[in-house]
Amino acid sequence: MEFVVEVENLTKSFGTKAVLQGVSLKIRRGESYVVIGGSGSGKSVLVKCILGLIPYDVGSIKINGRDISKLSQKELFQTRLKCGVLYQGGALFDSLTVIDNVSFGLVYGYGMPKKKAYAIALEKLRSVDLDESVARIYPAELSGGMMKRVALARAIATAPDIIFFDEPTTGLDPITSGTINDLIVKCTKEMGISALSITHDINSLKHISNRVGLLHNGKMIWEGSNAELTTTTNPYVVQFINGNSHGPFTSN
Amino acid sequence: MFLVRVGRLFISFLASIGNVAVFMLRSLSFGFAPPYYWRQILQQAVQIGYFSLPVVGMTALFTGMAMTLQCYAGFSEFTAENAIPSVVMIAMTRELGPVLTALMVAGRLGASMTAEIGTMKVTEQIDALTTLSVNSYKYLVFPRLLTGTTLLPFLVFIDDIIGILGGYLVGVYHLNFNAANYIRNTFEALTFSDISSGLVKGAVFGFLICLMGCYQGYFSKGGAEGVGRATTNSVVTSSILILLFDCILTFILF
Repeated sequence: MEFVVEVENLTKSFGTKAVLQGVSLKIRRGESYVVIGGSGSGKSVLVKCILGLIPYDVGSIKINGRDISKLSQKELFQTRLKCGVLYQGGALFDSLTVIDNVSFGLVYGYGMPKKKAYAIALEKLRSVDLDESVARIYPAELSGGMMKRVALARAIATAPDIIFFDEPTTGLDPITSGTINDLIVKCTKEMGISALSITHDINSLKHISNRVGLLHNGKMIWEGSNAELTTTTNPYVVQFINGNSHGPFTSN
Repeated sequence: MFLVRVGRLFISFLASIGNVAVFMLRSLSFGFAPPYYWRQILQQAVQIGYFSLPVVGMTALFTGMAMTLQCYAGFSEFTAENAIPSVVMIAMTRELGPVLTALMVAGRLGASMTAEIGTMKVTEQIDALTTLSVNSYKYLVFPRLLTGTTLLPFLVFIDDIIGILGGYLVGVYHLNFNAANYIRNTFEALTFSDISSGLVKGAVFGFLICLMGCYQGYFSKGGAEGVGRATTNSVVTSSILILLFDCILTFILF
């Protein structure tokens, strides 16, 4: 079985606070893995550790079979080109137009000529249901949903092996959330890209996931398939899925 | 208890210096290695060099004018009015030109640098740069350090000229100095070291402004409030460092 991401026994602390405590997960090629959990459970830290944005204390992370702790700075940058990221707020560059944002990784990461990068960027914009009319405008002029779509186009522009989705539907209306969910499914099913998502949105979770992991207090306390979400008797999962205020979870 | 607090403050002060030094070394070591982001460098050159000209010019003009009037008030008591052009020239080139230019640029550009980079930090745009395989030190910090260091001396030079011109305008048209004598007195006292020391100060101040502007922005946290705090810190620390290094450089250069 070929894994795109392999995380083994990952531990990370900030000062005396242990944020991740021996987390392990594996994501197969073409699989959509969703990590759920309450606020402060360590989801975002997990993704940042995998991307090499923050150093971890113990454990190992492999992307496409390569241990990221053993990569040189240059190799790490090359590996990151194979990872797309859709940030919660989009994280589009304010000073650049939409087309420059989408083609950014191609121009600066791969060193591709601008003309060729623009052609690919336009194609990616079309694949997220946006047309050329948005290409020359700035992110500040976009709606929340359009911003997410542009960010998704930027994430897939470099032809990644895996995309990380950080709460992709947060702050969007239900219809736009549905559109974003459909686009995520399109990425994983049609384009064969693996996905690691973190979300609180149960509708989104049911729509986009193949496998799900529940992170609580820095530990992966449950893992199962999308179908098992509704059949499991794990009290944490049941409470989380149903949004009950009573149960093992206490709100932060 | 008091000693413990003083000790903590001292250690935290040393840690801050260490962090700034590491930030500076990273920015320079990544920045000098290819590839070079020429477009970023050009954009910063326009921001620092071109858009700072009006504020620097106005500051210099008014300072030169006020300086001449103040000198006249004092020097006329000793019938030493002839020394006014040279005093204004020396004050502008050696001290007021570089310091005032740097303080104005710190207020205008240092603050905007911190706000821009800080906003990028809290909205995850710097993380996005990294995940798109672009070194943020190289893309964001180095172009600012390079253009700040190389262009501030030019701004200081322009400031010197406009400041001296301001003195000339007040001297000739308000205090009725002879125009030819004023110009001759100005240039007779002028030496190369007057100009060069001001330019050296300009380069150092430019580097400090951009370093502090980028550093405070890069490590800002806590949303909009954090960016606001970082911006204030940037202007305050830049201004203090400008005055501190002005003193140090004056000791070294004279």
